[in-house]
Amino acid sequence: MLPTTTYRTTAFVEAARQIGVELTVASEEPSALQATSLGGLVTLPLQDPQRAATEAFLFAKKYPVAAVVGVDDDTAIVAALIAQRLGLKGNPVHAMQAARDKHQQRELLAQAGVPIPRFMLRRLDEDPAAIARSVTFPCVVKPLRLSASRGVMRADNVQGFSNAQKRLDAIVCEPEASFLIEEFIPGYEVALEGLVVNRRLHVLAIFDKPDPLDGPFFEETIYVTPSTVPAGLQSSITDCADRAVRALGITEGPVHAELRYNENGPWLIELAARPIGGRCSAVLRFGAGGLGSGAGVTLEEIILRHALGMPIPSLQRERQAAGVMMIPIPGAGTLKDVRGIAEAKAVPLIEDVQITAHPGERLIPFPEGSRYPGFIFARGETPAVVEAALRDAHRRLEFVLV
Amino acid sequence: MTEEIRITAEPIDTQRCKFVVSVPVWAGGVRRFTGADEAKGSPLAEAIFAIPGLAVSELIVSGNIITVVKQSTAPWQAAGRAVGNAIRSTVTADVPAVTAAPKPASGEGSAVTDDALYEQVAKVFDEQVNPMVARHGGRVELIDVQDAVVMLRMGGGCQGCGMADVTLRQGIEGMLAQLVPAVRGIVDITDHTSGANPYFQAAKK
Repeated sequence: MLPTTTYRTTAFVEAARQIGVELTVASEEPSALQATSLGGLVTLPLQDPQRAATEAFLFAKKYPVAAVVGVDDDTAIVAALIAQRLGLKGNPVHAMQAARDKHQQRELLAQAGVPIPRFMLRRLDEDPAAIARSVTFPCVVKPLRLSASRGVMRADNVQGFSNAQKRLDAIVCEPEASFLIEEFIPGYEVALEGLVVNRRLHVLAIFDKPDPLDGPFFEETIYVTPSTVPAGLQSSITDCADRAVRALGITEGPVHAELRYNENGPWLIELAARPIGGRCSAVLRFGAGGLGSGAGVTLEEIILRHALGMPIPSLQRERQAAGVMMIPIPGAGTLKDVRGIAEAKAVPLIEDVQITAHPGERLIPFPEGSRYPGFIFARGETPAVVEAALRDAHRRLEFVLV
Repeated sequence: MTEEIRITAEPIDTQRCKFVVSVPVWAGGVRRFTGADEAKGSPLAEAIFAIPGLAVSELIVSGNIITVVKQSTAPWQAAGRAVGNAIRSTVTADVPAVTAAPKPASGEGSAVTDDALYEQVAKVFDEQVNPMVARHGGRVELIDVQDAVVMLRMGGGCQGCGMADVTLRQGIEGMLAQLVPAVRGIVDITDHTSGANPYFQAAKK
């Protein structure tokens, strides 16, 4: 299921071609050529998972389906419902709903004893001053369902909290909506990419996030793998993510977790039942440099193979260090030009610079916005040189906004 | 005066990658090369086919876009640097980077077949594909057919569209497989990074 807003269309379409499977693409809006490709394209109301599952069930009677894969938080729920209706391998629906809803997720994690920040659920139309009386600062306010850290803000005092709540209210723009208030956990942040196979978490990569994510907003920038965190701590991080996977009841498929660690050990910040976002998966390849078969297998190919029950050549990431920078939003305005791309690409170890924002596109900074203007990829012998290359390349880019 | 050459790589999949060059490379339509022998006389193609370990099997040059198809499993991020160097060195040289294809001897079947295929594919594009993609403000232009491989360029709402690959692979490819089964493949030579008004735009997660 490829929503029209996903970055992953090409990666999944090409992965399907690579392994030679017939693909049906389901999106929430019709393709211009849908009428010509009766079994290859289908429009499903992805915003209404139950109805989407019913329509998919009817579709599958005419065009049999062997596996169903969602690529983001919302389609993971739809995929679980369709798999259930069709008797295919998939996750329990309740697990996907819990992964999608930040409050439900935290309740299950807390019940299972997974270390998470203290949290409370309040409504956005409540009086901030009244809520603030029961808040310990610093805290983080979060919407329940937005992605990519959109709307996530740190508040250090009552005034900051009040401002953040009002700002979030304007972003969510939904009557009677609730939001989360979470204890701010100081520490170093990592991301874990994994594949759950028959309830067992296989770690595909642990990424360091070397830029401090201390607020006031939480815009992602650099991911570098392998992690430089000591092996023992990596094991604790993996254990923490594994406990979270079990607590939510995830049984199959990709997971992406964000964790922090400090002197008290690892803390689970978020867990999503989907692969890493944006175009970041391009930094991962598996089996490359190994013993032949499976050299350079992509994450998307692994996900499709797993869903179809096909052999997976390797879950072992390549030996080299690799990193990606989600290019920070350079400011508010309309993008006129991006300069220095050739210079950025010429930086040693830089493999690609992809500008995904289009000329004329309006860029909106965090926390209201969340669409990164592009991605930089690097590969090298050590995480340190990869990180340095990403920063060097980024310095050479100039975004011209009007 | 030496003009700065900017080259942008757009990997399509593990085998194919488009390189968009900031200056025109070949103004004579589309030139497709399927091996080192065909590349002789075109320094750009000679240089790319000669890159060690890349196992280039096909090269298509049209305007400022160069599409490279390789058989090696090396990732484009690494291979692209060698291709970029080859492009840069030949495009800035004093001799033309690409020369016209030799005229086929009369009676050779391939060109005739391609001409016939061109007519059939053009009819499908005119009568079926374009009226449909026009609903999304898009258009698909048939650039050429060479050795039964269709070269096309997307424009309007299709250029830079997040679902362009779906239109191409799930839509156009399937239509041609049904209606013009002699077509062996499709190469999209669109510069999707320049699309100013894509119909669908991606957002993280």
